[in-house]
Amino acid sequence: MQIFGDDVAKQGSVGVGRRNAGWQMAARCATALVGGYAAAAGFASLLARLLPVARAEATLWGMIVSFLLFACLGLWAFYEARLARVAAVIWSGAIAAGTIVALLGPRA
Amino acid sequence: MNREPGTVQKALRQSMAWIHTWLGLIAGWILFAMFLTGTASYFRPEITRWMQPELRAKSVSAAQATEAAVRHLQATSPDDEQWFIYLPDDRTGVTRVFMRARPNPDPEAPPPPRRPEVKLDPATGAPLAARETKGGEHFYRFHFQLQLLHPWGRWLAGFCAIFMLGAIISGVITHKRIFADFFTLRWGKGHRTWLDAHNASAVLALPYHAMITYTGLITLMLMYMPWPIEANYRNSDNFAVEAYGRDAEEPAAGRSVPLAPIGPMIGAAMHEWDGAAPRTVVVRNPGDAAATVTLLRSPAGQLDARAGSIVFSGTSGERLSASQPPGPAAQTAGVMLGLHLAHFAGPALRWSFFLLGLVGTAMVGTGLVMWTAKRRRPAGNADFGFRLVERLNIGAIACLPAGMAAFLLANRLLPADMPGRADLEVEAMFWTWFGLAALSVLRPVRRAWIETLTLSALAFALLPLVNAVTTDRGLLRSVAAGDWLFVSFDAAVLAMSGLLGLAAFRAHRASARQGRASTRNAPGRPSLAA
Repeated sequence: MQIFGDDVAKQGSVGVGRRNAGWQMAARCATALVGGYAAAAGFASLLARLLPVARAEATLWGMIVSFLLFACLGLWAFYEARLARVAAVIWSGAIAAGTIVALLGPRA
Repeated sequence: MNREPGTVQKALRQSMAWIHTWLGLIAGWILFAMFLTGTASYFRPEITRWMQPELRAKSVSAAQATEAAVRHLQATSPDDEQWFIYLPDDRTGVTRVFMRARPNPDPEAPPPPRRPEVKLDPATGAPLAARETKGGEHFYRFHFQLQLLHPWGRWLAGFCAIFMLGAIISGVITHKRIFADFFTLRWGKGHRTWLDAHNASAVLALPYHAMITYTGLITLMLMYMPWPIEANYRNSDNFAVEAYGRDAEEPAAGRSVPLAPIGPMIGAAMHEWDGAAPRTVVVRNPGDAAATVTLLRSPAGQLDARAGSIVFSGTSGERLSASQPPGPAAQTAGVMLGLHLAHFAGPALRWSFFLLGLVGTAMVGTGLVMWTAKRRRPAGNADFGFRLVERLNIGAIACLPAGMAAFLLANRLLPADMPGRADLEVEAMFWTWFGLAALSVLRPVRRAWIETLTLSALAFALLPLVNAVTTDRGLLRSVAAGDWLFVSFDAAVLAMSGLLGLAAFRAHRASARQGRASTRNAPGRPSLAA
């Protein structure tokens, strides 16, 4: 971001605003699409790992709800105005869920 | 959050309206093609039967068809490892068999070549000769593979499907007056008309759209979302075994023992299934002491697409094992799969699904056209993005139907014994679709809409005519013979032709009205949408 900031500073305030807005939108889209998928995959896996039913059943429940999770997370990324908050919630959610699943390891 | 409640609602609706627009636009053209070809796929076996007019369906019992197929297989490929017998039903009318050769014991040797499926007469077991074609399978495969290399087509289809799901949810949130929109259709009001048409088609069939989109994602969920499996299993193959049961994989014993008659096994299975028939018979190690016969239950008449199976000994006919009844999650996934495929549906429900699929296609199409109608300026739009959308709309909405009709026309016009004709039929679809879309760029937008829609309508109208000339199963003879499949096919393509013709006519009228308006007022680029 720093390199990019120096670059646009030369182009005047309107240019900064527009280009910044473009980059922010790109970051928001990437967070919604890639981060949303990662977070949905993480939460679905966590649900599959923790649900106290047979593991095949729990796995299927995780997969079944994952798409709804993905869609809702993705849409929320465009509702919440503060990009920092969007990025923090979605990416840290994905990393936290993924880490817990990795630490728990597969069911015996 | 320090927004007032009213402001929160307004912000929510505005953000959802914005994202709805862009989700729909980005995925819209592919979604339109997925909806239209998917809708046609409700009649996959019927389209295949229409595309092989040499064959006449026969209805025989499952036991009779199996015995006939086994006689053929014993005579032609007794040493194979596995026989798959797909039994005929009311819709397919033929037996299909597929044989898998025994793997070469030498691990260095190349795997034996995959042999094509063979169609058999259900009553006699004799191989059937018919023109080579992909049939209804082509629309079905295109619907989720988009004619791209594996796995890219499936990923692209999944990408569009999740956009569709997002568009449905955001579309519902955007709505202030979901019930009133049900009854609102203002003709001749420019972008308002398209908005009303989009709302009506979306709201009218909302449960269907949500169901078909979500269940579509479920059909390929093992590919799209494998991570829950990784979370629970060290070896992901074990998931399939636990969730769906193990396939028989015993090696051959090496001693030959004749295969027990399968008819009595089918009788026993049907008794166990309360009269439901098997759909598929899998014979493993035929003629060997370790032979097994697996009967897979037909999913017709039940929502769950994953019906059970029973394994019998292939030498004594004794029942060895049966699949476990599915748990709640497996049943939920199976029912979702079943709802998407609609194999359970009888004729009335199937036609209802077909109409709902067309409503879904219309929803996507009206949404795409609305995007341009809303942004069109009286003085004309110069920007590249707008013109690109305008042209892609014509290519997707007005030209795809011509391509689909060309696929069916090629089936009748290419010589029946021509080598490679199945692939040529498919090429006819894409050359016509993309060729027409490319040519339409040479015409002004309003003319391009009218002309491509008219050509699509004509292509569909030609089908009954070409069918009557090239086969002995034309409309009059079909009516006389009570051949309702062929009668319905002609009726359906004529209805499609009528719909496309109506669209062309309305585009023409709107264009004429705009033409008058623009000569009265300032010269400008008139809109189709008015």
